[in-house]
Amino acid sequence: MIHPLAWLIWLAAELAVLSATRNPFYLAIAIACAAVVLLCLRRRTVDAPPMPLSPLRFGLVVLPLAALFNALTVHIGRTVLLRLPATLPLLGGPITLEALTFGALNGLALTGIYAAFVVLNGAVAVRALVGLIPRAFFPVAVVTSIALTFVPVTLRHWQQIREAQAIRGHRIRGLRDWLPLFLPLLVGGLEHAFQLAEAMTARGFAGAQETAGARRARTLIAGGLLALLFGWLLWLGWRQRTLGITLMVLGGSAVVASLWWLGRQRPRTTYRPTRWYPRDSAVALASGIAAAVFLVAWPGLDRSSIFFYPYPALAAPGFNGWIALALGGLLAPALLTAPTQRAWLFRRTPGEDEVLKRDATVQERSKVGSMPSHALSVAVRQPDVECPPVPTGEPQ
Amino acid sequence: MMRAAITRWVIYLTSASIGVIAFLYPFFLPMLPKEAVMGSAHAQDAPLLLTVLVGICFAALLVEAQAQAGSAKMIALLGVLVSINALLRFVEVAAPGPGGFSPIFFLIATTGYVMGGRFGFLMGALTLFVSALITGGVGPWLPYQMFTAGWMGMSAPLCRPAVRVLRGEGTWREVVVLALFAGVWGLVYGAIMNLWFWPYAVGPQEQHWQPGMHWTDGVMRYAAFYLATSLAWDAMRLAGNMLLMFAFALPTLRVLRRFQQRFTFTYRPMEQVGI
Repeated sequence: MIHPLAWLIWLAAELAVLSATRNPFYLAIAIACAAVVLLCLRRRTVDAPPMPLSPLRFGLVVLPLAALFNALTVHIGRTVLLRLPATLPLLGGPITLEALTFGALNGLALTGIYAAFVVLNGAVAVRALVGLIPRAFFPVAVVTSIALTFVPVTLRHWQQIREAQAIRGHRIRGLRDWLPLFLPLLVGGLEHAFQLAEAMTARGFAGAQETAGARRARTLIAGGLLALLFGWLLWLGWRQRTLGITLMVLGGSAVVASLWWLGRQRPRTTYRPTRWYPRDSAVALASGIAAAVFLVAWPGLDRSSIFFYPYPALAAPGFNGWIALALGGLLAPALLTAPTQRAWLFRRTPGEDEVLKRDATVQERSKVGSMPSHALSVAVRQPDVECPPVPTGEPQ
Repeated sequence: MMRAAITRWVIYLTSASIGVIAFLYPFFLPMLPKEAVMGSAHAQDAPLLLTVLVGICFAALLVEAQAQAGSAKMIALLGVLVSINALLRFVEVAAPGPGGFSPIFFLIATTGYVMGGRFGFLMGALTLFVSALITGGVGPWLPYQMFTAGWMGMSAPLCRPAVRVLRGEGTWREVVVLALFAGVWGLVYGAIMNLWFWPYAVGPQEQHWQPGMHWTDGVMRYAAFYLATSLAWDAMRLAGNMLLMFAFALPTLRVLRRFQQRFTFTYRPMEQVGI
């Protein structure tokens, strides 16, 4: 199992590559890497849930749509395919091969970005994603864990309300008939929240009082945001590029440093920390090299093929073998993933998994009634996210 | 107190300004001088820059808003409400409604209206985050979804003056105001959400730049795209939000107000209250 942080680095590298180039060769290689990683992941994951929308379907819709839209609204390029009457607002003018190609390349980049996120969704468990919430957002992390924990409880509560109302003869015929189901769910949930709050308080959970340091950090965040805004305006509006970028970098750094400092003030305990193995370093290194080739000008490396641009006349894109080789680093997760791993949402030992499946069949399936299998799978498995590694409350 | 309030407003206004400029940036792109943008070597970096800026703003806004969830009561309340709302989204994913209809906006608007802007912001942002986790919907659109839904919850208290002027608290006039608010946000949400990929659809500056070009040309392109691909979809969201408000708002507001009173008491040591 690859460390969630290594997956994030891989994702960042994919996004950097897909955003930095419109060379179809490099785009295709990056997308192929994501596809291979996704296929390996799904083949090696037991009981993987279905994807909401496969990247292939996404691409089949987005790619032609992007090409068509760009061709219809951008009328530059030398290879004219046809001409629309100039009287047509926005659409009138020459339809060029260059605009069509550029639109298709944009669609290809979007498809790649989508595929990269599908990989992330499949690779990193929910509890690991919650664990990645920075410490500065401690209340948010606690709220998220409570919300995730309460999803199956709320689902059961919903089912109980439905059954109780059905016994009383309640039938859903119109929108207003949902009210006798929704209101008890809301009131019951709020009562649960009240009990939970009392239990949390009784166990010593309390929101920390704002210290002078936290107030200073907040002021620094406000100052950083102002610097960011004025820097951007200077850059774009007044053409003060150097000053603008300097202000933006300073402002962004102030915000990030304040968040880091606020996070340091929060103690965090983790029940079972995820270990960082050499294979995680290998994934991070390989991904980092792939991204660095596209983002940094290296001496001796001809990067001109990265900046492919079909205008004014379409020409064959360049290709550099070294850049393609570096892109191969994005395949690292496929080569280094464990031969078999459990489903994405939670991971248990095989014995426990069998017990869960049996219980799910007997008890949970009868409770959640006619829900689709994907919904059932998440609903039944959700209790496992009851103990994500979130920060603990500070004692009073 | 005064300093804290000023800091809070600076964070709100600045992050909102950066967010608005980031979302509208693609419309101004063709007008900007070439040297002010990126240069051809970095012409494709605009979406990355926007993502970074939106991310920083969102983080700053989240830090400010989460001060609302400082007590165990608020954390528990928010957690449970987010859970209920995320479940509604989950049901919607399992059995999709028509077009862009989603039941989640109802609770975001009503809780933001009753509990306040910061609570509404957290409710909107975290609903989208938690539901993305349980439906496998984490993607490049998620920060934009969280930001936009958060804005919806944050702006819900703006309905209060209108309700006060109409003397409509607890009546159908209040429901009408909230229904209009939720309906408008149904369209605005869709229009903003399209902008996460708009820089990809627009392409780099060189593709459009012409001397004397006006930002309205970019808006025209976007309007054409929106009309062709999104309006019908978002109209379902508008209708759904309004219908849900008319059907459920009055009793829901009563419940939320009752629980708001129960959740806003504070524990104080006995010596402080003189016992």
